[in-house]
Amino acid sequence: MDALIHLGNGFLQVLQPANLLVLFIGLVLGMLVAVLPGLTLVMGVVLALPFTYTMELLPAIILLTAMYVSGTYGGAFTAILFRIPGEPIDVPLLWDGYTMARKGQPAKALGWTLFAALGGGLITTMVMVLLSAPVAQFALTFSSPEYFAIIIFGLSSVVSLGGGSITNAAISLMLGLLIATVGVDSIYGAERFAFGVPFLQDGVEYLLVMVGAYGLGEVFTRLEKGFAGDGTTADTDRSISTEFPTLAEMLRLKMTFLRSSLVGIIVGIIPGAGATVASFVAYGAEGQYGKRGKELGSGIAEGIVAPQTAATSSVGGAMIPLLTMGIPGSGATAIILGAFLLHGMQPGPQVFVTSGPFVYAVFASIFLGVIGMCILGYFAIKPLVKVLELPEAVVSAFVVMFCFIGAFAARNNLSDLYVITAFGILGYLFEKFKFPIAPMVLGAILGPLAESSFMTMMVSHSNDWTVLMGRPISATVMVMAVIALVYPIQRQLRERTRRNGTTQ
Amino acid sequence: MLNRLLRASPYIVVQLAAMVLYQLAGRIEYAAAPGRIGPDFWPKSILVLLGLVCVYEIIKNLLVGETFTAAGLLEKLMKDSGATEGEEKLRSYPLLLVGGIVLTIIYVTTIDKLGFFLATIAYLALFMVIGRYRRWGVIAVSSVLGSLGLIFIFMKVVYVSLPLGTEPFSAVSLLLLRVMGVH
Repeated sequence: MDALIHLGNGFLQVLQPANLLVLFIGLVLGMLVAVLPGLTLVMGVVLALPFTYTMELLPAIILLTAMYVSGTYGGAFTAILFRIPGEPIDVPLLWDGYTMARKGQPAKALGWTLFAALGGGLITTMVMVLLSAPVAQFALTFSSPEYFAIIIFGLSSVVSLGGGSITNAAISLMLGLLIATVGVDSIYGAERFAFGVPFLQDGVEYLLVMVGAYGLGEVFTRLEKGFAGDGTTADTDRSISTEFPTLAEMLRLKMTFLRSSLVGIIVGIIPGAGATVASFVAYGAEGQYGKRGKELGSGIAEGIVAPQTAATSSVGGAMIPLLTMGIPGSGATAIILGAFLLHGMQPGPQVFVTSGPFVYAVFASIFLGVIGMCILGYFAIKPLVKVLELPEAVVSAFVVMFCFIGAFAARNNLSDLYVITAFGILGYLFEKFKFPIAPMVLGAILGPLAESSFMTMMVSHSNDWTVLMGRPISATVMVMAVIALVYPIQRQLRERTRRNGTTQ
Repeated sequence: MLNRLLRASPYIVVQLAAMVLYQLAGRIEYAAAPGRIGPDFWPKSILVLLGLVCVYEIIKNLLVGETFTAAGLLEKLMKDSGATEGEEKLRSYPLLLVGGIVLTIIYVTTIDKLGFFLATIAYLALFMVIGRYRRWGVIAVSSVLGSLGLIFIFMKVVYVSLPLGTEPFSAVSLLLLRVMGVH
């Protein structure tokens, strides 16, 4: 009952004109970012970060979460209509969404996407509201070993679930953790890896790592591929409409919808996975368990509903560990965590005790964001897809500018521009040599938290690290972390042995 | 052998860096408390793990010549679905990349002198040219208006104090701010 009252108050806060305006801007920006092939969702949220420096915390989080929500949906338009996936999330939509459009039913395909985004979004928000408070309550019982174990689980799942090879992801993660150690250590006040350079003594801001590696690095990577000259050649002037499915059609797909929502929420909760994994896994699950699984790829509605529902559902799932434990579940939530920290708020188990009304206002904004995103998607497809005509070189030049201003504005320090340029080059090299960037960014963000919980654990338990295995929760989570790392390696080794056996 | 060395080269670089940093971590100065681990323990642990992973990759790529790599779930899903097909075949323009990076470094080193407005106009225009965009009118208009727009948004709306530059360039920035009503 309390939750409902808080949620009601949250709605009242979000419905204030200034917050509504921020929500609307966030939704539009998220969709634009998702539509433009040169910009990823995570990059978009990074670029919006500097605008939040002078905002109050609530509008700042509303802006970023609105971008996050609508970013999981906007790319569907171009994937279905022009076979241009704005994001990797939208790749599964090419197989059935674009095929359905080519069969002469683009409006129907867009309608199914809208239904999936709306339904998935509303379900995930409800689950988020229902689960967050109990999870935070449970997390209040955690001590430093449990906290450390959860961070280790989060980091190991980032390694095993993300892109790139597992060893490259591990190297990326450890570099991120090392970056977090630069500067003056908070316990002893000792200087680490600063080499006497004043701005390194203050430490490397994770914001610079994020903006440099995600923003500049991506621009450099695309520049090497020689930007697409004058924007898309797709026919963005054609008539575009959305045809919502009938109730009977929707009911026929209820199992697909429920299954994919569940997949999205679970994948979202697991740190490091995010909307892209959710979208692919849901599509795969539909192929395996769906009634018409064998027809996937031929332009059927199930192939649209499954990935889109899961992608949008993953948002609420990812917000749960972020708000209740301070552990981001995806690249975008890592940046939202960054925004929390920049505004002096540390999400975690205490969040409902110290900032309950604020958290419910965030929930309310996601509720309204999902509805707003679908309204926008219904009425504004045409102008949205028009941005495909923007030349990539022009867009990229401005992306670099936003990166620089974002980096500079955080501390008004010109030295930070050198740092993000260095991370931009590092981000490019990561892409070039197939090292994923997300583990490095998460390592840089979670590094201080991991170190402080480790040091506290060691001090409180007389340097006995085996305490991790002596407590039921931390032991279980550590076992999960080991499984998360070992299972994919073991599975792929088994697959390889089988393949070798077949070819011999 | 050259192929093997190329494959192993990123790991060799990281391994060497890890070894140097490990040495430096051993020289971290702090007031030791009896029975407590010091501030060097955490970075040293990370460096040891980093070194182990690199050694594994170096042995695998350089000595054994094994190319098998266990991929993360997302990588595997993308590969299995064929979503990454054709990525390798995209053309590469290393000179554009070098040009872009050099331009970016020049921008960073000169913004303090030229001020945000002038440096940004030049950067935006040149970056578009390096990015193979050739509509000169659009380049000119978007770099000038874009630079003005950024100044307006960040200095007037978001209150970020962007660099004004040094004399004589600062005169341009100050004049512009007066015109825009930024105090």
